Amino acid sequence: MSRDAFNPPDAMPLREALRGLRFLLRRGGETIAETVNVEALPKPASDLASAMLREAGGLARTVDEMTSGVAKTVLGGQKSPSAPLKDMIGGPNAGAEFAVAVYVALSTVLRHLGAPTVLVSEAAARSAYGNLAPITAETSVEKRAADLTFCLLDARVMRGTTAQEAALVPGAALEAASIFAVMLWLQSARSQDENEAALAAATDMAVALAPEISRAVAGKDASRIEELYRRYVPHV
Amino acid sequence: MQAGSRNFTEDMCPMSEIRPNPASLPPTNEPLRIAVRRLRWFKVAFQGFVDATGRDLGCTLEIDDVKLAAAFMRWLTSIEIQKPADKSQRKDFFEFAAALMLRELTADMPVKARGPATLADPGSAAAFWPEGYCCTMFCLSVHTAAMEQEFHAHTTLDPAIDDLRHWWSFRENTLQDASFSSGFLQMLLGHQPNWMMPDVFRARIQSDLTVQ
Repeated sequence: MSRDAFNPPDAMPLREALRGLRFLLRRGGETIAETVNVEALPKPASDLASAMLREAGGLARTVDEMTSGVAKTVLGGQKSPSAPLKDMIGGPNAGAEFAVAVYVALSTVLRHLGAPTVLVSEAAARSAYGNLAPITAETSVEKRAADLTFCLLDARVMRGTTAQEAALVPGAALEAASIFAVMLWLQSARSQDENEAALAAATDMAVALAPEISRAVAGKDASRIEELYRRYVPHV
Repeated sequence: MQAGSRNFTEDMCPMSEIRPNPASLPPTNEPLRIAVRRLRWFKVAFQGFVDATGRDLGCTLEIDDVKLAAAFMRWLTSIEIQKPADKSQRKDFFEFAAALMLRELTADMPVKARGPATLADPGSAAAFWPEGYCCTMFCLSVHTAAMEQEFHAHTTLDPAIDDLRHWWSFRENTLQDASFSSGFLQMLLGHQPNWMMPDVFRARIQSDLTVQ
């Protein structure tokens, strides 16, 4: 078999499953720790609860190590594709590339916003790209980006935002503002060296625009989102 | 150069020995007028300038990134709204853009001094209001570099920059109305601002014409 003919298996579902498991264990542990005062429980219930929490913590750490280990060695690194959106769309592997870019960038944006434990679904991002309406050569990149914004929201690419209270953006606006930041960054002209600074700038801009983004998203106003991209992409 | 005004290359703040420093701005492959309207460059430039000023003044100056980004966004909007269609006014508007930048920075100050400016002369503007001083010098530095690059024009400053009474007035009035900052910067650049509407470009043009 020639090397060209060999198609490696799609590792995305495995990554997705491991991330989901890690999220459940982390959130589950947090929820129990926040809601149950183990110290106040009578024996032997307190011993049992402490052991259960230790076990859950150990499992979460194991999955963390597995996820990062597997991702780095067996499945390949998760480097974000840095191509601008206009170059990415229409490519032979566009859906997968877009999903990886969204996953990596969205995770970074959420950390920047103080919401690091929100689950980001690469599978949902790939599905969102698949749901993008057919485009013509005349469709502007801002229009495609606005449509993709709503596809990502509909696909629920972020999970667990309602439980997030420590974010820079209020919980209700977090999802739309974070996705807006990623799409703004994806459209911006930038070198490889500027990727990180550009993403941070796009995030800051999304925070400043959060009320406006929320209004447009609540009203399903894709043309307003498109207008915001047209106006602010050159300033990232 | 106007009589009594000073060039940036001269030592123009003897009270504090601190001066605007356009050379401290980060490098960019783009014209400065483009780079300064990119938040990624603006943030790096502002952070670098604030850090250097804090070291010179002997105090820690902290930046609120959220406030800084909001000021930047408001500045973009205001220059977009006021930008004249007439190309002959381009140079004047360059100066005015710096004044609008100072207005937005002082409207919701993104810099906070932690402690007094121990290395600044106690009677200097820098010691009196480190945050306002730092933002003003940043705007003047960006303006100087952009004017040099676009028009090969040297920026000159009004002697008022060394007069603490002007800084006192600047701080007091800006707390009441941020548009005062626009007038203050225009004054430092040797203009006679329209104090009724210091942040309206068309009003500034009319005011300048009246003076001439």
